[in-house]
Amino acid sequence: MPLLQYIRLIDIMARMSLRADASRFFLGYVWWILEPLLWVGVFYVVFVTIMGTREPDFLMFLATGKLMFVWFSKSVTHASNSIVGGKGLVGKINVPKTLFPMAVVQEGVYRQAAVFVTLGIILLSNGYTMTATWWYLVPLMIVNYVVIVACACLAACLVCLARDFAQLISLGMLFLLFTSGIFWDVRTLDPEKMKMVLDVNPMAFLLDAYRQIMMHNTSPDMFHLLTIGAGFGALLCMVVLFMRHRSQYLALRALTA
Amino acid sequence: MSEHKPIVLELNEVSLSYHAGGKAFDHGMHHVLKDVSINLYESETLGIIGRNGVGKTTLLRVMAGILAPTKGRVKMEPEKSASLLTLGLGFKPDLSGRDNALLAAMLQGSTQKQAISFLDDIKDFSELGDSFNEPVKNYSAGMRSRLAFTTALMTHVDVLLIDEILSVGDAHFRGKALAAMQGRITGDQTVVFVSHMADQVEKMCNRVIWLEHGKIVAEGDAKEVTSAYTESVARASKAAIEHQA
Repeated sequence: MPLLQYIRLIDIMARMSLRADASRFFLGYVWWILEPLLWVGVFYVVFVTIMGTREPDFLMFLATGKLMFVWFSKSVTHASNSIVGGKGLVGKINVPKTLFPMAVVQEGVYRQAAVFVTLGIILLSNGYTMTATWWYLVPLMIVNYVVIVACACLAACLVCLARDFAQLISLGMLFLLFTSGIFWDVRTLDPEKMKMVLDVNPMAFLLDAYRQIMMHNTSPDMFHLLTIGAGFGALLCMVVLFMRHRSQYLALRALTA
Repeated sequence: MSEHKPIVLELNEVSLSYHAGGKAFDHGMHHVLKDVSINLYESETLGIIGRNGVGKTTLLRVMAGILAPTKGRVKMEPEKSASLLTLGLGFKPDLSGRDNALLAAMLQGSTQKQAISFLDDIKDFSELGDSFNEPVKNYSAGMRSRLAFTTALMTHVDVLLIDEILSVGDAHFRGKALAAMQGRITGDQTVVFVSHMADQVEKMCNRVIWLEHGKIVAEGDAKEVTSAYTESVARASKAAIEHQA
């Protein structure tokens, strides 16, 4: 399949899915904005009203971490089921199997664009300012995207090979939710532990980088960022090669297992 | 007659088996196809007949390149395209008939512009009317088959692999679909037509292959093979009735 046709198909599949999704709800596309706002509302009730947190930044800290984490977690979780869920098409036409997770990732990109704008508005209306440091968001988001694509394709493959992985992936997301410093600040750990968490868990590094840029006007460790990008880029290449060479095997697994 | 034409698709001693999980029999191995060799000639209509579950759909999937054989070789000219036309699945149920048709056309290699240009014809021929813009999950089985058939008919592929698709839908649409199919068949279209209904196969095909438990039992003239198949089915059902009595 020519690359241009491939890209166009991903885009069309993503937009069709978004439209179908929106048509299922009375509020439709409003949910794109409403969902992140409700998350912030929940955080406010739990952490400010009930637990009485005094730090004024804490709400913004939570919102930034959670809303950027959701991009990763939702994309990968949905993508993990994409080939198996698309077995109607898989059994009909010999198409590249990467098409299925990629369409889900693209859908996530569109959704996240709305979430990100909402987050930006929340931050700006709470006294944070947009500075030149925010340009660092561009490489950060590109690396974040590569991480998502690599994990999404890998997850889709694994679930295709054995359905059991779907269980592990949802558990893994929960594990990441608690270990990536969404509800607590990695920077409050002692330096040794902090270094360990940031080195071992790329998601913790990425979320911290978003906060550093948008809340503290500090540029992220670019070397660390590029290392993550290169590592997941290499992983992505391997997964894509596997999916190309074993396309028919994946089809057999999706259709029969 | 067709033997003089060039071969479009060649299956050479193709076998396919897979692990079904579980340890039911033969260590959970399913042997779907066993040493199947078929030559498909250009612009012929080849029929494949056999009862449910003998490996007909799997055979078509191997021909379409969707599945790879465990043993043996599948050879197809690289610039040719093959597409499988099946009932039911293959649709995204949340999307409208229009979106599904567009997606199917593009997945089969049409550009977006071409695909959009097919849509009005698909809507007219399938007689779906306003339902064309409704999600496919609200369709009846007949409506789904009409959409599937029409989408495949309107998008052009070199080898059309048809799986039982003409056995549903109401009599009016079935007649129309058969006529349209015959139009394609008498033209240059290469078709592999799969069914368990002997009369349809006999009417549509030049050459017929009879498949039983993943193996070819008979191959040749449409009339001879289908009548041998019909006799065998009749014998089997008679034996079943006697066994019950």
